[in-house]
Amino acid sequence: MSVLTLRLAGPLQSWGASARFTRRTTESAPTKSGVIGMLAAAAGIERGDDTELARLGALRYGVRIDQPGSRVRDFQTAHHPVTGKSMPLSERFYLADAVFVAALEGDRALLTELHAALRAPVYAPYLGRRSCPPALPIELGLHDGTTPLRQVLQDEPWQAAPWYRRQRRRDATVSLAVLREADEHEDHADVLRDQPLSFAADHRRHALRSIIGDTVEVPNPAAVPTRSAPRHDPFDALEEESARCS
Amino acid sequence: MNRIFLDVHALQTVPPSNLNRDDTGAPKTAVYGGVPRARVSSQAWKRATREYFGDENLLDPSELGVRTKKVAEVLAARITDLDSSLAEADALRLAAEVIETATGSKIEVPKRKASAAKDADDEPAPQSKYLMFLSARQLDGLARLAVDGASDIKAYLKDKDNKARAKEIADTRHSVDIALFGRMVADSADINVDAAVQVAHAISVHRVENESDYYTAVDDHNTDAEPGAGMIGTVDFNSATLYRYAALGVHQLANNLGQGLREDEPLTDPVRRAVEAFVHGFVASLPTGKINTFGHHTLPDAVIVKLRTTRPVSFVAAFEEPVRSEHSGGHVREASARLAEYIPDIERAYGDEETTRTWLLRVGPNTQKLAGLGTESANLTELVTSVGQAVAERLEKPA
Repeated sequence: MSVLTLRLAGPLQSWGASARFTRRTTESAPTKSGVIGMLAAAAGIERGDDTELARLGALRYGVRIDQPGSRVRDFQTAHHPVTGKSMPLSERFYLADAVFVAALEGDRALLTELHAALRAPVYAPYLGRRSCPPALPIELGLHDGTTPLRQVLQDEPWQAAPWYRRQRRRDATVSLAVLREADEHEDHADVLRDQPLSFAADHRRHALRSIIGDTVEVPNPAAVPTRSAPRHDPFDALEEESARCS
Repeated sequence: MNRIFLDVHALQTVPPSNLNRDDTGAPKTAVYGGVPRARVSSQAWKRATREYFGDENLLDPSELGVRTKKVAEVLAARITDLDSSLAEADALRLAAEVIETATGSKIEVPKRKASAAKDADDEPAPQSKYLMFLSARQLDGLARLAVDGASDIKAYLKDKDNKARAKEIADTRHSVDIALFGRMVADSADINVDAAVQVAHAISVHRVENESDYYTAVDDHNTDAEPGAGMIGTVDFNSATLYRYAALGVHQLANNLGQGLREDEPLTDPVRRAVEAFVHGFVASLPTGKINTFGHHTLPDAVIVKLRTTRPVSFVAAFEEPVRSEHSGGHVREASARLAEYIPDIERAYGDEETTRTWLLRVGPNTQKLAGLGTESANLTELVTSVGQAVAERLEKPA
């Protein structure tokens, strides 16, 4: 078993799990279907090729919230190009300024293939919505061998932006939320319908997926050692003064 | 597969303006690097780019598409052009049948219109439920088909070969704008086209707070006895130096277009024309929100185009730390300096390919630091032609 890690960072991202019609919401972390879809696109798997997709869907997924970002509401209008009449208004939600580390665990050969595909994708990756290109190359690394997903998410250095790390400079370590797929025998707290079964345009299908919420402690590279403040006693000066006077 | 990505980056300053507003009328914003930024949504700039194709005649109208619910009417007009003996109502009926077969979408008279027209004499025209995006060539093909089967259209389309031909017409010869920006038909998977272009939301390279302009207007017919304003109001605006970015999957565009639409032209010709139109249109177009209020007609100070055989790369992270203008005299100079440092850095870190090619178009001394990053073009036409030529060569002889 190997683990492929990805850095998902950019001004805007949007990861919908249940959004339909004119109100397009986002989860607070990348969904499995969003990330698997991105990898499938990079590998050139066409929409509707459910067999190929199933290989990717079988990967175990976990995501770490390195910088949660904030929610942006985008209001969109459209006009009929011929009549000029306005079309239904729509609301789209984005996560601004967020950074995530996503990890996928599974067959080494498949992950090696996906790692290469991200470097030379067939369809360019985007962060949940086509108008959200990633700010930096996505692939972080391929961890061969026996390190389990949870450990990899623990070991990966903190990917938050420098300005964000500086805000936490008093903390030598930070604790980051992790949402990872539950093992079959594990008790899970939460479920999300984001296990992709088909991306076929006319019948997208998703299954429920069990999720375990966790946290990991990660070192803060921007931490500055706290120095104890120098002792300050205003009455020292008074004592000096009175010693001189007497 | 031969991968060719074209990245277009631009720095563009807009004066006080409101190019793209939200439902409160304020210019759109986003937070990046922890500070508020001006934002222009991707769909606003995509629309501006598409309009530019037509307004500036960058592409022949036959290469463009029309997006409408009134497809039946549009097609009916073409049918009567082909065969003037057909009555208008018959042409409409033929058009509706052909479109239903070709796209799988229902074509019917909207309920509201049907009930409103109950008492009137003429029946309203049927429409599609969704906006349909069909190219001029697709419409021509469907019109031909309708005329061929005019005697008994239902029986004609029942025939397996004719049915397949109808579907094929709607799914090939996509127009350039569909091939670039995609088409979604909600109830038919067959004729969806995945966009070859990704346009990012443009964001300011610096911190921006929206401002509000309070205005009064005088009533010219007021007498001295009625002092005061005829009306008052506010207009929200901001001014910004924007980082704009778009990535074009050239191989995907070639796939969408279907190479070689005409027999007498080289296979790569339609792709080259589409790439040239896109680069030109994306660089030079401008969303027109409140343009008569603010007159924000500007052009980019700097344009960088990259042709890659690996993944596209956005340089937006160069501006995650907001640019400040206090010491450097203007955002463009500082933003250019940032890019000049960031681009070689990131390409070194992630292994730039030898096959990557870079073009540069820049204006004025503020963009001096960018010099040397790529082949400098004297003007936009030269940049566009040179990029188009390189794309054609890359398509014919993969790097």
